[in-house]
Amino acid sequence: MEQEKVHVRLLIFAGCILLWITAVFGRVAYIQLFCHADYLKKALRQQVHSIEMYPKRGVIFDRKGHPLAMSVPVKSAFAMPGEIKDRALAARLLSGALGISAEEIRDKMDSGPSFIWAKRKLTPEAAEAVESLNLKGVYLQEENKRFYPKRDLAAHVLGFVDVDEKGLGGIEREYDGAIRGKAEKIVVLSDGRQQVLSAGEAQNDRGANVTLTIDEKVQYIAERELEAAIEKTHAPAGTVIVQDPNTGAILALANWPKFNPNAADSVPAERRENRAISQIYEPGSTFKLITLAAAFDQNLIRADEVFNCENGSVTVAGHLIHDHKKYGMLTVADILANSSDVGAIKISLRLGSQKFYEYIKAFGFGTPTGIDLPWESRGLVNRLEHWGSYSIASVSMGQEVGVTPLQMITAVSAIANGGMLYKPHVVEEMSRGETALPIEGASTLTAPKRIIRPETAATLRQLMEGVVLHGTGKKARLDGWTVGGKTGTAQKIDPSTGKYSATNVIASFSGFVPINNPAVTILVSIDSPGGYPHGGGDVAAPVFKRIAEQILPYLDVARDVPTSPQLVAASFHKNSDTSDDSLDDLSPIVFNEQPDTTQPYSAKPQAIKEKPPKSPEVLMAADEGGDIAIPDFSGKTMREVSESCMRLGLNPVLIGTSVAVQQSPAAGAKVRRGTKMTVEFGDTQVHASKSK
Amino acid sequence: MVEFYTVKRIDNSRLVRHVEPVKTRNLYKTVALGSVVAAFCMMYVYQHFRYIDLGLQLEDLKSKTQQARVLNSQLKLNIASLRDPRRIDLIARDKLGLTQPTANQIRDYASSDGSEFAEVRNPGPTRAR
Repeated sequence: MEQEKVHVRLLIFAGCILLWITAVFGRVAYIQLFCHADYLKKALRQQVHSIEMYPKRGVIFDRKGHPLAMSVPVKSAFAMPGEIKDRALAARLLSGALGISAEEIRDKMDSGPSFIWAKRKLTPEAAEAVESLNLKGVYLQEENKRFYPKRDLAAHVLGFVDVDEKGLGGIEREYDGAIRGKAEKIVVLSDGRQQVLSAGEAQNDRGANVTLTIDEKVQYIAERELEAAIEKTHAPAGTVIVQDPNTGAILALANWPKFNPNAADSVPAERRENRAISQIYEPGSTFKLITLAAAFDQNLIRADEVFNCENGSVTVAGHLIHDHKKYGMLTVADILANSSDVGAIKISLRLGSQKFYEYIKAFGFGTPTGIDLPWESRGLVNRLEHWGSYSIASVSMGQEVGVTPLQMITAVSAIANGGMLYKPHVVEEMSRGETALPIEGASTLTAPKRIIRPETAATLRQLMEGVVLHGTGKKARLDGWTVGGKTGTAQKIDPSTGKYSATNVIASFSGFVPINNPAVTILVSIDSPGGYPHGGGDVAAPVFKRIAEQILPYLDVARDVPTSPQLVAASFHKNSDTSDDSLDDLSPIVFNEQPDTTQPYSAKPQAIKEKPPKSPEVLMAADEGGDIAIPDFSGKTMREVSESCMRLGLNPVLIGTSVAVQQSPAAGAKVRRGTKMTVEFGDTQVHASKSK
Repeated sequence: MVEFYTVKRIDNSRLVRHVEPVKTRNLYKTVALGSVVAAFCMMYVYQHFRYIDLGLQLEDLKSKTQQARVLNSQLKLNIASLRDPRRIDLIARDKLGLTQPTANQIRDYASSDGSEFAEVRNPGPTRAR
């Protein structure tokens, strides 16, 4: 009986267990088999997210690979107001960490329950402060911020971006699409605690890197000398451009005033204007180069031909024009060297309006050059049908025509390189990783256009050398290199009277170095220099000289004029304040600091406060110049050239096949042992036809 | 009442448990099969959780890699800013007392790597005879 009772109880217990197991497994079976799709949908909704990934903006390098603009990840603070219980307290705490007013933060929080930016792109200190607050509902997110580590260097070329890293000026704007890359969505799998279990990889379309033709050192030298000239003359603005005349590549483009693109939004728009490509000015005497180029190319004049400059005045279509000096009979060479307006007018009258206009357009005036920078001005050239009876005289002197500094230097470069008009450009190449990208669209380099004959260009180069040797450009003369150039002193229009101002001018000098095989063309333009004299020969030519003296050795341009050996006394002065310890304080410059345009940097070194102790002087031999005369290799074979170079102690670089057609340095130049000697080989007939 | 105690001797030594070989074999088979199933289940569960664990570790490493990349970017930025020509110029002039060489002062003419003739990319026409 007892046993039967126990047996029954066991059976009942087992039955309950069995029932429970059946219920559980039945439920599991129901969920797995009948509700599978539904629960799978819910799980995917919870676990799988897609997030938009923005690739890092590409880096902008100078021609030597030094970074000029780069993006670095920084933290941005955002809040979810719906999760914040005490918004007033949170706003107060955040205000201290972020440096903005609590009211501003509170207003943002009250604007809605969902996502708001507290402050974007924080400094590391601010991000740390927010993180240490550990506020519920306040989070940090990583974003990329654009930095310009050289601050205001080449600011007008680089441009700047807004807070969303969208390019707003310069290269940043012109190539914004490529540099930015494309946003991409990637799928992320996360668990219940929102920890990421796995994430897809961003596939492609990183931002492209851009390598400029700008040389960081040349750019700095140009900016420094421009700044010094601005300080000396108290001018409000100025421009310097350095160009390679053989390719059109811009090595430096400096404007004053300048700005720091790290804080571009705090700067007035006029400081961000790229005057080198947008400022239109009447070029004045510099435009005589075009007048003479056209006349020479049409075989209408000779360099030694004499013109009567009418003792300094001439009447054209009822307008009386005065020269700046009373000149009598001048050769064409002297007309250019002395910048005689009367002489230029007579030459232009011989040329005629039609031909003159054609050459003006051929030199690229009145048309954008096509440089790969935004907002380039086309200049101002009246159409021929709108020319008055006096226009030809006006234009021949560089009035009644508006040019940009870039158009002017491009034209001078065409004279320098033998008559080929190259499209100026600042981008050397673009790449994504190791892959080079094509530069497409309007920025594509086009083949150069021949605008004057090589003989015309050669004649003009000689005449421009005369300007520097015994004309208005004497202050541009260099020791060791031949220089050709032209000064310009263009009167500005006085807005109050509508007439030409007697005092406000644009002083300019455009030139190239050396005369044969020019390596660089430099344009200096100073707007409204104060004081007197204020002409191009007095204000701009010395700046040209200072820039050329520094960049020519840097660019390894061989001297083509022997220099007299000098003995210089040199002594070592140890700055009494200098010790190894003082070099420890080399903290980087604050990024957001704007350049002081009221007191530009002075090119002169600071005076040493304490007189250093007297140290022994040493007499040292100065640079004696080169002592090897370069022979003429034209027509020689590769073997002959190599043997000659080895014998002379030169370092040959031979390009091409057949016989020598071009060489650098030119024949006759004096160089040192070990100088690189580049010789191009090819078919002489093909080369001759290419030159035409 | 008189109680009589009798001794009942129970001798089970002659009893032998009857072993059924078939049932024994079945038992072993069941145990083996169960072990295999259990091993597979354990393997599946282990792989599942190992996958999740590795995923978390991978994301952790990715996060560290990302932090290293961020630090690398910041250091590159610092290097670039330290190489600012204006900064070097100021240090050379103000701290070290250096001055700009004159045009004819002694200088090293050995071409360093990277320097190049500006004119050689496309040399202009040779001088006319």
